[in-house]
Amino acid sequence: MSRLGHDEASAELEAVALDSAAPDVRDAVRAHASACPECGPELAAMEETVATLGHLVEISRLNRGRSAGIRSRLVMRARAERETRSAPGIGRPDLTRGVASLTGLGHKATPSAQRAVTGEVKRFTPAHTADAVAAQTNVPSKALNWYAIAATVALIATAVQLVRVSADKREVAGWLAATDTLAPVADSLEATLRRKEAIVAAISGPDVVVLPLTNRTAQRPLGRVMWNRSSNDWVMLTYGLRQPGEGMMYQVWLVTDNTHIPAGSFRPDTNGNAVMHVKHDLQRAVLRAITVTEEPERGVTSPTGPVVAGGAA
Amino acid sequence: MIPPDRDLSYSEARSNADDVELLRRIGDADEAALGALYDQWSHALYSLVLNLVRDPDEAEDIVEETFWQAWRHAGSYEPSRGAVSTWLLTIGRRNALDRLRARKRHRDHPRSRGTTFVDTPSAANAHDTDLAERYERVRSSLRGLPAEQRDLLEMGYFDGIGQAEIAEVTGLPMETVRTRVRLAMQKLREPLSTQRP
Repeated sequence: MSRLGHDEASAELEAVALDSAAPDVRDAVRAHASACPECGPELAAMEETVATLGHLVEISRLNRGRSAGIRSRLVMRARAERETRSAPGIGRPDLTRGVASLTGLGHKATPSAQRAVTGEVKRFTPAHTADAVAAQTNVPSKALNWYAIAATVALIATAVQLVRVSADKREVAGWLAATDTLAPVADSLEATLRRKEAIVAAISGPDVVVLPLTNRTAQRPLGRVMWNRSSNDWVMLTYGLRQPGEGMMYQVWLVTDNTHIPAGSFRPDTNGNAVMHVKHDLQRAVLRAITVTEEPERGVTSPTGPVVAGGAA
Repeated sequence: MIPPDRDLSYSEARSNADDVELLRRIGDADEAALGALYDQWSHALYSLVLNLVRDPDEAEDIVEETFWQAWRHAGSYEPSRGAVSTWLLTIGRRNALDRLRARKRHRDHPRSRGTTFVDTPSAANAHDTDLAERYERVRSSLRGLPAEQRDLLEMGYFDGIGQAEIAEVTGLPMETVRTRVRLAMQKLREPLSTQRP
């Protein structure tokens, strides 16, 4: 829309203040108001009035469990963004580093002395002093053979563990890619990506325990919870859960000797899949189990419904 | 995860200055401040957007989207233009209206009809006594509006439809719609012009 005259702009002030004017009209009115000593203050006053009306509506309570989930996601996203901002470079987390730390294997930055597992390799290890090399040459060859065998067994075991952890990570990455339950309406794809990266980072630490979720009738696991005990991130994946009943949702509980601690709520997608990521401080020794119960949408402070899945700590 | 159950009667002493401080911390990338702001205003924001979109799931999405925008754009808040809560509600309402318009484009969804402002004090959002008093004065003016003015104002506010569409829906002449909305706005403005937050 071309520029508006004073009378035309003035006639549209209410619509602009109410945010109900067409975009071209709105822009033209704002352009006029920014330079008009009469319309500018008038529009500002009307907008203030409209904004104040937002406080005069019927009050509705957000469901407690779902509200906690929203809050957790917001804080996690904010933290991830802050950390990304402060990081020297923006990029995906280095999964190789995560795997390395989980398995005890070194990555590129690991001193070669820590990677050495055989006498053959040790000969080329610059970290060895002359005394150490001398001491090594005094080891009887039979004992050396046993050391070599033991080291080889350890290497194989570590490699097997690496394969398992890598498989877990691929599975998690697959779930993250497949499920949409973590992306309510983000203001950008980038934010969604960072949220998912935060989850990958949370489960990549050295102090992550995995609790499978199941129930008596399940033919296979219904999900798993990964608890990063260092950062107190909790990531739960579920698969194949039935839909909760009308007006119901699933609520997650951290079970201790004395209480059930509410840990958020969720509703799986049409395939029964869900991903939930929350933070909750919990002492390492007090967790006994994790359960998922079906509860009313408004949320409850202690479990009342049937347990649909659970896992012992 | 789930914070302790908060007393939604809002009896705690709190002022807009506290919210301004939270926004300042958010501007410094303090995510704990974002959580605190959420604890403070999520219910009020949810109430407003639910009244607009009439869908709890969509309202929750909008709440999350709005607080994320607050995180991203905390620096754009201008204290001279109103309380932090009012700023948040304005962003939330805009997001909700965008959803309503998208619905209309894609599904010709019926409008939220019948949604009105509340005439009696709900105690909500009254952390700050000055603000509470201010809202009450606006509410009082709202009660005093003739029904024909209030109806049109509420259609514009809750449905986000333009005056031409209101005229079409109600069968009133466009100029009548415009005049009634303007008169309503003028009456509501009066108590605000006598005291600034």
